[in-house]
This record gives sequence, C-alpha cells and structure tokens, in this order.
Amino acid sequence: MKPLIVIGLCLSVTPAFANRVFVSNEKGNDVTVLDSDTLEVIGTYPVGNRPRGITISPNGSELYVCVSDDDIVRVFDPQTMEELHTLPSGPDPELFVLHPSGNPLYVANEDDNLVTVVDTRTHQVLAEIPVGVEPEGMGVSPDGKVVINTSETTNMAHFIDTDTLEIFGNVLVDSRPRFAEYNHDGSKLYVSSEIGGTISVIDPSTQQISHKIEFEIPGVLPEAIQPVGVRVSSDGARVFVALGPANRVAVIDGATDEVQDYLLVGQRVWQMAFTPDEKYLFTTNGNSNDVSVIDVEAAKVVKSVAVGQQPWGVVVAPD
Amino acid sequence: MRTALVICVALFAGQAMAADGTDPDWPCIQRKQPHLSLGQMWSGPIPDDRINQLAQDDLIGNLADRLEQRRMPIETAESEIASFADTSDNDGLTALMVAVLERIEPDRTALIRGIARYGRKQVQLARKIEERREAMARLEAAASPDFDAIDAEEEALDWDQRVFVERQKSLTYVCETPVILEQRAFALARAIASHLE
Repeated sequence: MKPLIVIGLCLSVTPAFANRVFVSNEKGNDVTVLDSDTLEVIGTYPVGNRPRGITISPNGSELYVCVSDDDIVRVFDPQTMEELHTLPSGPDPELFVLHPSGNPLYVANEDDNLVTVVDTRTHQVLAEIPVGVEPEGMGVSPDGKVVINTSETTNMAHFIDTDTLEIFGNVLVDSRPRFAEYNHDGSKLYVSSEIGGTISVIDPSTQQISHKIEFEIPGVLPEAIQPVGVRVSSDGARVFVALGPANRVAVIDGATDEVQDYLLVGQRVWQMAFTPDEKYLFTTNGNSNDVSVIDVEAAKVVKSVAVGQQPWGVVVAPD
Repeated sequence: MRTALVICVALFAGQAMAADGTDPDWPCIQRKQPHLSLGQMWSGPIPDDRINQLAQDDLIGNLADRLEQRRMPIETAESEIASFADTSDNDGLTALMVAVLERIEPDRTALIRGIARYGRKQVQLARKIEERREAMARLEAAASPDFDAIDAEEEALDWDQRVFVERQKSLTYVCETPVILEQRAFALARAIASHLE
C-alpha cells in the first residue's frame, strides 16, 4: 500500500512543475514541443516557412515565431498550437525580443537594416528604427528602458532608448555579432561575436567594453569556435555561451568572466533557454537535430532529445 | 528578358563569391571549416602517442573502416561498437575514435576542396556570361547588325546561363555534403563515448 501512495503523490505533484519547451526547426518548418519534466516530445506542429526566433509572452498566453521566409511573425496558442493571428515584422525577421511587460515586440530585419517595433495588442507597427547593416541580435535591459540590436556587418551593438526609439550609443565589437543578453541587474551586457570568436562584456552605463572573453578548447580548432546564443542565470552568477560548430557550451563565472567549463552538447549549438526554476538549460543543436538538456546546478549534460530538422531557437513557457 | 538576366547573374555571382564574407573561394552560406577536430565530438581522454599508435592496430582499423561507411545503419554501428567495448577499455575506445576520425576527416577535406572548385567555376562562368552580354550589346549597337552573329551569341548566352542556374540550384545540396560526414562522425563519437568508464 505504501509504495502506491508514494507513486500517487509523485504523479499529483509532478505536473505542477512541468513547463512546455518550444523548439523552432528551421528546416522542418515546424515547432517541436517538449515537456520540461519528463523531457519527452509532446508533439510537432507546422508553423510556416523557416522558423527561427521564438519567444513567449510573460503570462504564457502567446507564442511568437519569426517565420523568416514568410516575412511575418506568427502567433500561436501555446497549449493548442493553433495560430491566433500574425504580426507585421518587416522582411526576413530572424530574431526579436519582447519588452519585459509583454509589449511591444522588437524585431530585427536582416535585409533592410531596420528594427521594427510591433504592438502585440493592436498588431500594428509602431516604428521602424534604422540600424547598422544586417541587424540580427536583440536584447532588452531588465527595466525595459533599453533595447540592444547588433548588426552583423557593421559589427556594432546599438543602444536604443525604448521611449524615444532612438539610438543613443554604439559599441564596436568583434566580427559578426550575433546575440545580446543583459545580466539580472542590468550591470553587464554580453554580446557574442560569431567570427571574432569572443564575448564582449559591456558596461551599459558607460557603453564601454570592460572585458573580452576568449575561448580555447583542447582538441578543437579555433575556427570551429563560433559564439552565438548567450544566457545568464537570474542571479547573474553563471553565463552560458553556445559555441556553434565547436559543439560546446561554455560555462562562465558571471562575477569574474572566467570560463569554468566547456560542455559537449550536440552539433552546431545555436540558442538556449532556461526552465523558470533554472534547473535545466535547453540547447538547440542544428546539425545533430536534437536538443541537449543541461543540468544547470551540476553543469552536466543529462540528456539529448531528438527534435525536428535543424532546430534553431528555443523558449520555455513561464510558470 | 535582358533585365532579368542581368539581375540573375549579379545575384548569383555575389552569392558564388563569398556568402560568408571571409573566403572568396567559398560559395556556401555555412562558414567554411577546412578541418574537423576531435574535441568537436569527443570529451573523453585526449589521445597521446600511445593511443595514436593503438589506433593503427588492425582490429581497430578494420572496425573503423566498417563504421565509416555510411551504408552501415547507425544502429548496426552502435551494436558493433558495443561488442568492441565489451572486450576493450578507455584506451581502446579512444583509439577507435581516433581511427574513425582519421578516416572521415580526409574524405571531408577532399569534399571541402571540391566545393571551393565548384564555387570558383561558378564565378568564372558568371564572368563569362557578363562578357557575352556585353558582346551582344556591342553587336546589337552596330550600324548594320550581323543578325547571324547575334543569334549565335544569344544561343551561347542562354546555354551558359542555363548551366549556371542549374549548378547554382545544386549548390545548397553540395554545401550540405560536409555536414553529412560531420553528422556521421558525431553519431559514432557519441556511441563510442557512451561506453567510456
């Protein structure tokens, strides 16, 4: 009798902690949904052509997907995966970031050197902000006052004031910047450079680079080390960097900016997402067509889960 | 037709020249990676001279020869690796990984060189198409146009353009071939590493 009760308790407790994990498959034209607790695939759903950037509203009611070849952002019900509506995005949307309040959405348009600002409630374009050539990475400060855009060809991180929608600062970084991520209190901004092979740690108050993180992995040729996705734990203590075809995720001490470890994940690791409790970090591996699950506390890869063709982006539903 | 052709050649020539902006000989969207390295797929022991020597062992070499062949399904490869692991240790498994990479890496390097040649040929062809177009313009602008010569030039131009476009369409697949070898190497590495103690 006792074992049954234990099992019964586990069953009733578990679902409360499970979050849906959404993975955009660039080549598969679909989204794979996983359960963050069982780490099993719940289902795969078509979403349009060439889905890349993916994010979710703070209340978990709307899932946003950049469908790059459809030149639009599609919005889905995260529970049913039914399309709710679309948002205008400008051509070839690749990455975007949602204001911490859930509105608006800032979209990088790679082809026409603009950041498009879209109201998620009225579905209207609020503004188009001219930036550098080939805008790509998008980040937002924790207080929502600053949006960062990185431009791949101009090699800059642009600081955009979210009130005036004007650029008030530019920082030159290494070649082909791909991603921008603030730490928890907004005291550091991490910008990855894919070809430069570095992370620029920027002090947002002065817009100066305070440190450059370089990577060296025994047995890996330097040209394979291509930093893309960056995620910072909510206490700022640990920074994770996806190193592309090096197939590794670097674990960095958020206080000292020192690299502590390189975790072998899947092939061409691109983007990452934490579960809300930060127990797990999911990585998308575009060439091995899987997602690696990292136990954050232990800094160990605990599982790989097969998803669709060329997984690109990932987001986890909030609690 | 003329305008369409010009746009088409300009577009494709640009693409053929340097899609990633770093190597004029590299036509692919994917950034060029001339070589694979062990650490991209292996977090086990780092091989020393002794392991590299062991990788030349006949038993290990023969197994690596079989595993490398993509016609062997990965499930079969996994079970062959499991049988090998039963009678081997970490040194043997690391040596097997070295032997596998020693076989896949030269094949991949040859492919990368082939793709660079393909890209260069496309650039040359784009240039030739541009020259033919200019030649046609000159012929057409002549006071008394030589219509036979114009027809001949137009036919040659159409042909070159057709070859160019066909090759450009294949480029996506051509560029993906190194990835197929990388996937094989990575899948074998995962299978071998799963037996490390």
